[in-house]
Amino acid sequence: MIAIQTDDVDIGDLITAAKRRGTGAVVVFDGVVRDDDITEMELEAYEDVATQELENIAKKATEQFKLLHVDIIHRIGRLSVGENILIILVTAGHREEAYAGSRFIIEAIKTGVPIWKKELTKDGGRWVPGEHGHGSGKPR
Amino acid sequence: MTVKIRFFARFRELLGTDIITEVVAGTMLTSLITTIAKRNPEGYAAIFDENGAFHEFVILMKNGRRIDIIDAAKTPVEDGDEIAVFPPVAGG
Repeated sequence: MIAIQTDDVDIGDLITAAKRRGTGAVVVFDGVVRDDDITEMELEAYEDVATQELENIAKKATEQFKLLHVDIIHRIGRLSVGENILIILVTAGHREEAYAGSRFIIEAIKTGVPIWKKELTKDGGRWVPGEHGHGSGKPR
Repeated sequence: MTVKIRFFARFRELLGTDIITEVVAGTMLTSLITTIAKRNPEGYAAIFDENGAFHEFVILMKNGRRIDIIDAAKTPVEDGDEIAVFPPVAGG
């Protein structure tokens, strides 16, 4: 499941659905809204492009790390402290591939998927600075 | 001909988004974005430097494909194009 959506998901259900013959490791990354003296977080995406990018990242990770299954769910909209922002679930035959594949996916999302976060505070809000790795807007 | 410009994040707050505009044939990407951005001085300053060049962190897309800001001045816009302009991404 690759999705950008407002709704949360049940991680337990994802794990159950992901397991299949040959699975030896399941790694779940759950990015949550941190309590950085904020009231809420607002997330925005260029949805069509972001979804396509997530699919490309999942495909690349699957090939590179021999993953058996990949779920990436990135939430948008307004989220409270402690809520899930991003869930990455990967399965593989062995832990090495699962950990490496999960790490690859989160790092690729951080630098290449058009999604933005604004931290809302009592005094207004501030956009979370993005990573400037693009260099003249070029793809990495 | 008609094109759509989409700004995101801080650029959206300053300039709006999903802006449908008429352009004449031969209009280049830089020219189009400059014209729209000048509607709000703060929005313009967020995207362009004092010399009128794109800030190096600005990312451009034409129909979902990235265009290097160096190439934007020689990239023509075409009827039905969707142009996206946004700051560095910060998802995850």
